Amino acid sequence: MKLIKRTYFLTAIWLLPVMFIGSIFCFYMIEYIAYEETDEFLTYEMERLLNYHKENKVLPDYHKVANIIPGLRYEHPVFKDTLLLETGDGEMVPYRELYFTINHKGKDFTIVLSHLLLGKDDVAEGTAMIIFGLMFLVATFLILIVNHVTRKIWAPFYKTLNRLVQFKIGNPLPQFPETPIDEFKALNATLSALLKKITSDYQHNKEFNENASHELQTHLAVIRSNTEILLNKLPEKAGNGNELQTIYSASTRLSQFQRSLLLLSKINNGEFSNDVNVDMRQLATQTLSTFSETIDLLGISVEKDIRACHIFIDAGLAEILLNNLMKNAVKHNVQGGFISIKLTPSELWVENSGLPIQGQPEKMLNRFAKGENGNCGIGLAIVSQICELYEFGLSYEVFDTSNHRITIHWR
Amino acid sequence: MQISYRFERYSCTRNNSIFHEMKILVVEDNLQLLEAIRETLIVEQYVCETAKDYTTASEKVHMFTYDVMVVDINLLEESGLKLIREIKNIDPTTGIIIISARDSLDDKLEGLELGADDYLTKPFDMAELIMRVKALLRRRSFSGSPVVSFGDISIDTNRREVTAGTTQISLTKSEYNILLFFFSNPNRVLTKESIAEHIWGDNMDLADSFDFIYSHIRNIRKKITSAGCEDPIKVVYGIGYRLRRDYN
Repeated sequence: MKLIKRTYFLTAIWLLPVMFIGSIFCFYMIEYIAYEETDEFLTYEMERLLNYHKENKVLPDYHKVANIIPGLRYEHPVFKDTLLLETGDGEMVPYRELYFTINHKGKDFTIVLSHLLLGKDDVAEGTAMIIFGLMFLVATFLILIVNHVTRKIWAPFYKTLNRLVQFKIGNPLPQFPETPIDEFKALNATLSALLKKITSDYQHNKEFNENASHELQTHLAVIRSNTEILLNKLPEKAGNGNELQTIYSASTRLSQFQRSLLLLSKINNGEFSNDVNVDMRQLATQTLSTFSETIDLLGISVEKDIRACHIFIDAGLAEILLNNLMKNAVKHNVQGGFISIKLTPSELWVENSGLPIQGQPEKMLNRFAKGENGNCGIGLAIVSQICELYEFGLSYEVFDTSNHRITIHWR
Repeated sequence: MQISYRFERYSCTRNNSIFHEMKILVVEDNLQLLEAIRETLIVEQYVCETAKDYTTASEKVHMFTYDVMVVDINLLEESGLKLIREIKNIDPTTGIIIISARDSLDDKLEGLELGADDYLTKPFDMAELIMRVKALLRRRSFSGSPVVSFGDISIDTNRREVTAGTTQISLTKSEYNILLFFFSNPNRVLTKESIAEHIWGDNMDLADSFDFIYSHIRNIRKKITSAGCEDPIKVVYGIGYRLRRDYN
């Protein structure tokens, strides 16, 4: 939910009690004023009649008053509420009555003056109109004010946020806007410091990896080339160069392994982020063909259902992903086995015959998982890392004890 | 297009020197590796000079001409890429092989764009380096013929055709590559690892699980012997294979 929407929402909620209390207040206020006015009018009328009687000694005309009750006496004028039937529409209508007594020729006459009152429904209607009108005005202005204030006050925040969203690690550090607001100043300063630290850590990590790799590979090259020279210097029938061969193999493996680890750490560091729309069908077909000779050699039957599929991914990573999956399917296969590949816009499915594995299949996706002949399963760890990076779903299943299936759900 | 143009222009001077010794300059800042490369190239009958830094290399390039240069692009003080740019200015016909410990695609692309002919990632086998040097020399036609032969078996590298005796034999892509690898290194033991790396590159760990190399070599042998030639490949027990010294 956006900040401004949330502000509107909360403000609207707080307007509800205001509306409720305001309505009650307004209702009683109108009613009070109506009574006040009516009473004032009736009192005025009573005084006029009293004066008229004093001057002319004549009882007021029947037409002008509601009722004249002879013989009843009120010490003080009394107001009463009553309902009278309106003959026009047959409704009971509230009236205000004023009872007062005039002594006329030694006899008491109580005169009743009456005046139409505002009905409760009329008051309620008025209240509703006032409140709704007012609320409409308040809401309109609130929206305008909130909008304006939010925009003005939060502008530096949005600028910071925008730069932060656009920031990619490895890019130059973003410059956050100047702001007079302390909180935003603190936010920007903290963010700058954090980003600086992250970037420098990232840079150090990257450099360390590269330097370590560079040195390691160079010295491995020394070991390997010298071992190779020695291997070539062995006399033709001097038995075998087992120790030399061991050194040679170990250095070869080490350098391969280190290369894979470097790749893993590069993927982890997000150094591959040049995402493009990759035609997976073409890439899968191409990858499969690089292994075709090996597949023939093993007598593996290939069953493929490769449909059009485009994924937004770094081209290099897509290649590594497919290559490692196919290589895995070939490498851990058996003579005369099968490989089944299915590529659809929603998933990729590589199934192959192989040897039964001990333990849980999911563990095979972990780094350094040991296979049948002690191979380190770094190829699948790379696959898993790429899937994690792009949030693809990855699963490894074994069924019928020796059929392996890796499924990737593109998301 | 550009390469063939250069070839026409310089072929008259270069072709005179079919029998001249090939001169190679190796630029590498790791002295042990430099020495190992030098030793290997000398065994292969090349004239080999070395430079351990940019300055020495640059001086040598200005004074002498080389047929091939092997350059480490991660030199200490200056980038090897600068050196390549310089050589391309002075003598564009020099073949250039980049060696790098950095497995970075950018470096590779930049190097090849500058006109380098090949790119090797450290660590590499000496057999692989020799093979690349020979292939480069053949491509540039400095040594005349595109045909590589061993005994009565010959490979036409332009047409990718293999002839055993008088019969043309058909090899798969990997078999062809392995045979050419052997023929480029007639005096060397080729380890299983180096053959695997040669044909599969980064996928060489395929060889961990199966004896694919053995199968390929068995097929090559079968094809050669059924064409009426003797089997040229010999097993070096526990290590790999080599071409027979006493062949023909």
